[in-house]
Amino acid sequence: MSFENTTPPPGYDPAQEQRLDFEIDEQLSQVIVDDQKNVLLTTIDEIFNWARLSSLWPVTFGLACCAIEMMAASATRYDIDRFGAGAFRATPRQADLMIVSGTVTAKMAERLKLIYEQMPEPKWVVAMGSCAIGGGPYFKYGYHVVKGVDLLVPVDVYIPGCPPRPEVLLDGLMRLQDKIRGRKGKFKAPKWISNYAKKIPYQT
Amino acid sequence: MNEAAIHELLVAKMADAVVGWNAEEPEAVADIAPARIAEVATFLRDEQALDFDQLMCLSGIDWDGLDEAGKGKSVAILGYDEVGRPETSDRVAEGDLGVIYHLYSHLHQHKFTVRVRVPRDAAEVPTVSHVWPTAAWHEREAWDLVGVRFAGHADLRRILLDDEWEGHPLRKDYQMPDTWGSVPLAGKDYAKNPYAKDPEPEAADGAEQKPASTDDPKSTGDA
Repeated sequence: MSFENTTPPPGYDPAQEQRLDFEIDEQLSQVIVDDQKNVLLTTIDEIFNWARLSSLWPVTFGLACCAIEMMAASATRYDIDRFGAGAFRATPRQADLMIVSGTVTAKMAERLKLIYEQMPEPKWVVAMGSCAIGGGPYFKYGYHVVKGVDLLVPVDVYIPGCPPRPEVLLDGLMRLQDKIRGRKGKFKAPKWISNYAKKIPYQT
Repeated sequence: MNEAAIHELLVAKMADAVVGWNAEEPEAVADIAPARIAEVATFLRDEQALDFDQLMCLSGIDWDGLDEAGKGKSVAILGYDEVGRPETSDRVAEGDLGVIYHLYSHLHQHKFTVRVRVPRDAAEVPTVSHVWPTAAWHEREAWDLVGVRFAGHADLRRILLDDEWEGHPLRKDYQMPDTWGSVPLAGKDYAKNPYAKDPEPEAADGAEQKPASTDDPKSTGDA
């Protein structure tokens, strides 16, 4: 079922909506003026996405030399905590971001997939470095290397480099935050609510 | 004691075990008869003038494509091609397998290198893990990657690769695996994309064109 096609509440009059064009809803404006408080209007999606992108908790998961750069990014000089992604969780059940930092070997592939599946939804994956993107220097003779972690789990952001510097990891993190910000959920506000919201004046 | 003197002492004590001597390489190497290596190792460790108390390294080696002196001629080792498909070849590797022992004495501060050479189809060498306990893991590694068996080893299992792995990857004729269990090891352009939808029934005759419909972004959309 779609929220868009729900019926308005019993007291709702479409004719009244026409009348309110460019006029202040007296009742609501009175509330604003009386309480001297701001009113913020947003959608469920936006506020959820804002919360998600502001506190991306990565799982503690380092595979190779890229993990050293990931540690450098979380240390004081680059400080990944500025972007809310500094809380490296020791269990995948508390994490929602997996930074695949390094070479994914055949033995590690099963563990990686298990960790990914243990993470609660919504969850994101960053492929960091050449090895995680496509095998890197192990492409030709790497009998034990998975040629790209996207053969195992879906990847949201690819960060090239061998290894990428911490700045690039932070940039990839910001690109992931952009991606989360634009994410559309299944919930869509009913039309009569969005129309009503448009008529509320914006006071500075 | 330099290497030539060590070799002379070794030949003086057990001349029949030393089958070769090459002083011209960067490091002098004494070739030992494979059956006598444990005996020679015990002698090298226990002799007061030698006192080789440390086995620095034990390496398995595949002599395929090398001449008798061990000098390299280029051999086309199989890998993955540009789309990630395992390369195949009909060439059968012929060269011997071997083991190289690098020894060091902390007391006298001298080094020595011995090696054994065994035929490819009967690659078995007596273990030296009772002489130097550190050899136990090194021999497991040589067995894992090169496939040299060590007779008398207490626990000869694979050490790096999984127990179910097939073949010995550092052999010159090793063919790269396509998958290992459910783990894809071939490249993206060739391996089956786990997120791709199953092919339509109309493409039943497309069994030969394996790389088809792997990287179609439309096929990875929501179901």
